[in-house]
Amino acid sequence: MENMANSVARIPNLVDWSTGEVRLMSAKCNSCGTYFFPKEHYQHRPGCSREGVEDVLLPSRGKLASYTVQHYPCPPPFKTEQKITPYGIGLVEFEAEKIQVAGIITDTDLKSLELGMEMETTTLTMYVNEEKQQVVTWAFRAVK
Amino acid sequence: MRDVYIIGTGIHPWTGFSEQVFADFAATAVDGALKDAAIEWTRIQSIMAGIFIYGGNAGHLSGQYLESIFGETGVPVVNVYNACATGSAAIRMAYNSVAAGETDTALAFGADVSPKGFLTAKSDNAVQDRDVIRWKMGGMPNPIYWALECTKRMAKYGTTEEDLALVKVLMSEYGSKNPDARFKKAYSLEEVLKSVYVCEPLRLYEICPVSTGAAALIITADPELIAKADKPVKINATTMGSAIYGDPTIRISALSCPAVAEAPMLSESYSASRQAYEKAGIGPEDIDLLELPDNSSWHYLVYLETCGFCGEGEADKMLRDGQTRIGGTLPVNPSGGFSSHGEALSAQAIWQVIECANQLRGRCGERQVEGAKVAMAQTYGLMGNSGTTILSI
Ligand SMILES: [Zn+2]
Repeated sequence: MENMANSVARIPNLVDWSTGEVRLMSAKCNSCGTYFFPKEHYQHRPGCSREGVEDVLLPSRGKLASYTVQHYPCPPPFKTEQKITPYGIGLVEFEAEKIQVAGIITDTDLKSLELGMEMETTTLTMYVNEEKQQVVTWAFRAVK
Repeated sequence: MRDVYIIGTGIHPWTGFSEQVFADFAATAVDGALKDAAIEWTRIQSIMAGIFIYGGNAGHLSGQYLESIFGETGVPVVNVYNACATGSAAIRMAYNSVAAGETDTALAFGADVSPKGFLTAKSDNAVQDRDVIRWKMGGMPNPIYWALECTKRMAKYGTTEEDLALVKVLMSEYGSKNPDARFKKAYSLEEVLKSVYVCEPLRLYEICPVSTGAAALIITADPELIAKADKPVKINATTMGSAIYGDPTIRISALSCPAVAEAPMLSESYSASRQAYEKAGIGPEDIDLLELPDNSSWHYLVYLETCGFCGEGEADKMLRDGQTRIGGTLPVNPSGGFSSHGEALSAQAIWQVIECANQLRGRCGERQVEGAKVAMAQTYGLMGNSGTTILSI
């Protein structure tokens, strides 16, 4: 993991790097077993008591369940200092948690992307803010 | 519940961005519907309006704005939003009011002016509005969602880039024959395959843009109005569906989806269509023509499966075999679809129903499906919204 001491997520409560690995901040319902991302995106099984929802971090690694390559800049409020197009967007599956999460793929060799390949969670620096902090989002990259 | 008929329809042709106000577009469509039904404005006993989300106070109260143009009569006016299925919600409310006997004659309408520039987040509160997260953190415009599903489909069922392009070829052929369509150029397969990628595997010509348009529908159970109408069209069912837990589709504005399917894909549309089949006592095998929401070429294919017109992964074959052409076993989108119109959010579901009604009334000229007796219009709205309407003559 890069030095993240001077990094801040553009929106809080989505991505965590306090454990030394970059991991997505999810929540698990201990009644119906469903994982949520973002953690406030509740999607309980009908009839669930909704008791015992706890914050959990998703594993750092998953498998590429789908992807696309975006050829045009995403309009505002998306914002990056560097031109990132074309960029990959992946759906990464966390098998045990039975959830797939979407995110930008930081790999630049987009031709090498393949369904099923192992991916790890990382961050993408979008811009530097007025406090000179690197403003990041979560992202994925192929495990080399 | 009483039998309910469509007696009047009106459309403002689809166009790009306009400086004209949405209420004027709405008025054009409503004028058309009144003229078609050959009734006075004062016969309208309730107004169900699809709201125009970018129109501020005026757009959120579109029914009141419309009513004041024609003359306020004190009737119930309800304004509704269900994303791209907004028009379906307006039709369903109008239908329920008339079928239940609350009112005899109702108006459903929607009008939208395409925003200048891009559709994007409508609030800045990431905790309550997930849409903010996908825009600020995800870099995910709407077609990304469709491309992610399309990639899965290609791997699972062998859908090819030619299949995706063929959808546009068909839609553009029909759009070129529809005076109300926005895009009237017919494209060859080669031209579509040469168009640039927006998000792979989807190309520029394989996704629909946002448009300006308006549509209005007058429905009634009044025997006098039905008797004097030109070919009244029966509404056999008009339903709304929401999503089902365990639907594996990644929904627009979401950042995640279930990895294990416990429900059908696009379950909101599965729900809406199955409710309609049940209520109407009409199944996919009885439908003579279908208007489905081809926001992208992927939608065209998957919707045939979602609505039960073929099994999973079989839509490509239906397309390749020509079954979905005018003259085939199930003509799909003889209007030219969203591909030739673009999305005019609150109006599009009503316009789809009007196309079906026009086909049943034999008014479609070069794109007419001969002898059509039963038609179905299917919508798709983001975050689990969908409507199905089945009509017959
Ligand atoms: Zn639960």
